[in-house]
Amino acid sequence: MQFDDEAQRALDTASAKGADYADVRFGVNKDEHAEVRNGVVSSLNDSESSGFSVRALVDGAWGFASSALIESAEIDRVSALAVEVARASRAIQTHRIELQRAGKFIDTYKTPVQIDPATVSTSDRVKYLLDVDKEVRAANGVTVARSWIDVWRTKKCFASTEGSRIEQDLVQCGSALSALAVGDGDVQDRLYPGTAGLYQTGGYEVVNNARLLENARRVGDEAVALLTADQCPIGTMDIVLSSDQLSLQIHESIGHALELDRVLGWEANFSGLSFATLDKLKTFRYGSDIVTVVCDMTCPQALATEGYDDEGTPARSVDLIRDGILVGYMAGRDTASAANVELAGVVRAEYWGRLPMIRIGNVNLLPGTAASLDDLFADIKQGVYLESNRSWSIDDKRLNFQFGCQLGYEIKNGKKGRLLKNPTYAGMTPAFWASCDSIGDKSTWVAWGTPNCGKGEPIQTARSCQGSAPARFRAIEVGVGYGG
Amino acid sequence: MAVDFVTDRQAVNSALDQALAASKADETEVLMLGSESALSRYTHNYIHENMVEKNWNLSVRAVNGKRIGVASTNRLDPASIVAVVERANEIARLAPEDHDFPGLPDDTSPIADLPASCDEATAALPPEARADAVAQIVRVMYSNDLYAAGYVASRSDTIALANSKGVRRFYRGSDSAINIKAIGDTSSGYAEGYAKRFADLSPTALAERAARKCVDGADPKMLEPGHYTVILEPTALREFLVYLSWIAFGAQPFEQGSSFMSGNIGQPVTGKNVSIRDDYAHRLHLGLPFDFEGASRQPVTLIESGIAKDVVYDSYYAAKLHHANTGHALPAPNPDGPMPLNIVVAPGTRSLEQIIASVEKGVLVTRTWYIRLVDQKQTIITGMTRDGLFLIQNGQVEHGLKNMRFNESILGALGRCELASELVRSESHVLPAACIDGFHFTSGTAF
Repeated sequence: MQFDDEAQRALDTASAKGADYADVRFGVNKDEHAEVRNGVVSSLNDSESSGFSVRALVDGAWGFASSALIESAEIDRVSALAVEVARASRAIQTHRIELQRAGKFIDTYKTPVQIDPATVSTSDRVKYLLDVDKEVRAANGVTVARSWIDVWRTKKCFASTEGSRIEQDLVQCGSALSALAVGDGDVQDRLYPGTAGLYQTGGYEVVNNARLLENARRVGDEAVALLTADQCPIGTMDIVLSSDQLSLQIHESIGHALELDRVLGWEANFSGLSFATLDKLKTFRYGSDIVTVVCDMTCPQALATEGYDDEGTPARSVDLIRDGILVGYMAGRDTASAANVELAGVVRAEYWGRLPMIRIGNVNLLPGTAASLDDLFADIKQGVYLESNRSWSIDDKRLNFQFGCQLGYEIKNGKKGRLLKNPTYAGMTPAFWASCDSIGDKSTWVAWGTPNCGKGEPIQTARSCQGSAPARFRAIEVGVGYGG
Repeated sequence: MAVDFVTDRQAVNSALDQALAASKADETEVLMLGSESALSRYTHNYIHENMVEKNWNLSVRAVNGKRIGVASTNRLDPASIVAVVERANEIARLAPEDHDFPGLPDDTSPIADLPASCDEATAALPPEARADAVAQIVRVMYSNDLYAAGYVASRSDTIALANSKGVRRFYRGSDSAINIKAIGDTSSGYAEGYAKRFADLSPTALAERAARKCVDGADPKMLEPGHYTVILEPTALREFLVYLSWIAFGAQPFEQGSSFMSGNIGQPVTGKNVSIRDDYAHRLHLGLPFDFEGASRQPVTLIESGIAKDVVYDSYYAAKLHHANTGHALPAPNPDGPMPLNIVVAPGTRSLEQIIASVEKGVLVTRTWYIRLVDQKQTIITGMTRDGLFLIQNGQVEHGLKNMRFNESILGALGRCELASELVRSESHVLPAACIDGFHFTSGTAF
């Protein structure tokens, strides 16, 4: 282990200062970002960051400290500070933190990579983005074209006073393009692929799989066409959501609702609580009986996949919703102990210097049987197909939501019809999922990554995945927001 | 003893000097951002997360002709500094030319610090002091049979910049905040406070305010969706301004035509009683006197008496659009253009209390949540209320309401509003409460 001596020093110091349990994480993050805007390289940068953090439990109270400086004296200072902070927490203690047993692991994990991103030069990445940019702007009427590529490498080492020593080497990549069209009193935008781009674990093959160049002109044309498209109608009707839009719906109305720290009130002041309270476990009907959702931290290519989380719990798959019934939560060692549920392996920090907390992992809606969008449209008399998110909003218990999409199509008598702009839909979470009556099959399913989920205070950004196929929902309120 | 790039100005300057000396680029800019932030987070009347984080970042912008590259690191030993400079230069060599790039700023005239930007007692606030503040909050909750969730936070920031044209800047500031959500069986209430000096915050007073909101809002009733006279307290109004800054007040959306300011300078865009400016020197703001490329921040009037006046610029857009640089650059690389970071909304003449007293039937909103943009050009946003929604009848706050979703045009709302006379800071905004006629609630939720 790269930081074996330093880790032992931190753990010994924390123990000597009085920690009943401590863990230490060393990390090195290397991020590369290239971005082109209207033919100009608007961002070309590499960033590197390294450091460590110590988490200490003293008499059932947590303390945490971190530093960028990996030196012996600083390791001693930060380890002692974590214990001091824990003692301050203990001064106001109405609940004693206990940790569910995670096991002792001495292991390494490496993201499977087909194409090492280091083999694709910065100049090749820039050249590709300039080609993409040119193609987006070839669509007559595009005001602003943007495209970007991200390569993220994370090396991290975890050690705990329980004897775990885990080393991980993670690679995540992503890319996207967008087209903005400005018309008379209107602005329309399109982003591809999906809502945030295609972000997954893996090497440069993730960028290649996004096929930006092949789709650039079409997406540009769509942005321009939206300026003159008809406004989405207002009313209650059947809808079909694209897999990427449904991915965000899962993120907001299932993923966040089933984070156990929210359920227990640990996020009450900021991210909020959850309507899916513990008394509902194993009895509450969350959705129709075709809705089964798992948190699978082993899912290949999914953006949150890694070998272990940041408190040393191995990756695993946990059922969240089975046949429409709430059956589980995403839990960490402290929350799982408080609620007596199983660990999900989803406790993660933004980087080495931040406090690990429960984050949405790979929360996947299992595929259904519909072979195509046409199958989903087939028995809709009057409805709307909505694709790619533009806005997302949900209340702080994850019930009342309203989403807006970048484009829609009318569905009439089972067929895709005219283009619609500014489509929105709204509802209440359990009623919405109960109205789901068809889900696309495995061939239509995509492990969509969300690279920018925000939670916690100070706020931390996390990378999650919500695998999904397109799906159909009956009698949904459409057109909200433009109703005057 | 370990080097500290948050508190040791000499060490910071030395790192900047080493980077400039190592660069072989035509022009070089070095930006150092360092912070030590501490936050004690509590729920159910105990501290469940408690942290102290220290980190810094050295970012190098290398310019060769019109080619630009940026690299950054938090490893600040001499070899790592040389390596990050070489990497920035290497990236710059690979980048195509940006013909609009005007060169790095060259205004070396001194910029004075604002007094009292850094309170060292706040910068070094120990965990015991934050825990004591939580204890004060908890005592108020116990006396009201409630529990609280929130945080007590303190921090210090160092921002230093040097470039090869002789520009040299240094800032050190402190900040602190208290955030309280009081929670009862059927309701919640919220209060927050921000101050450069932690000693200026009163945990007990804020807790009493949050608790009172929670108690007054117990057993909330349903409100029918529709148009109402609505009073947004400053915290609730803040995000309306956040969106305006993002979609409209910067030179980039202005240039591309997606901002409502585009083509409307000199035209009415809000009610005549609305004036919005960006002013780093306002006493409630943190007082960072330069931007992230070292240019002097200028106060900018964005909307004056309802008339669109100007947007903010950095050196790039100033040169491109032939406008003075207003000093609003974000750290490079910045594909989003300049942005106002110190919004001040001018107050009205009547107090919030007087405005409430004049409302026959209306709704008081303590806090908003999860606001998102529905329509950029029409500035329509949607969002939820949270932690204290009340019905006002005949000038009195009558009872709590279950939370509501709104869909509302920001400009439309600012076209039919009255602003209160009290200015407060909410995060990075200084603003009053606003009373808005015909505010549109479109649905409700279960709590």
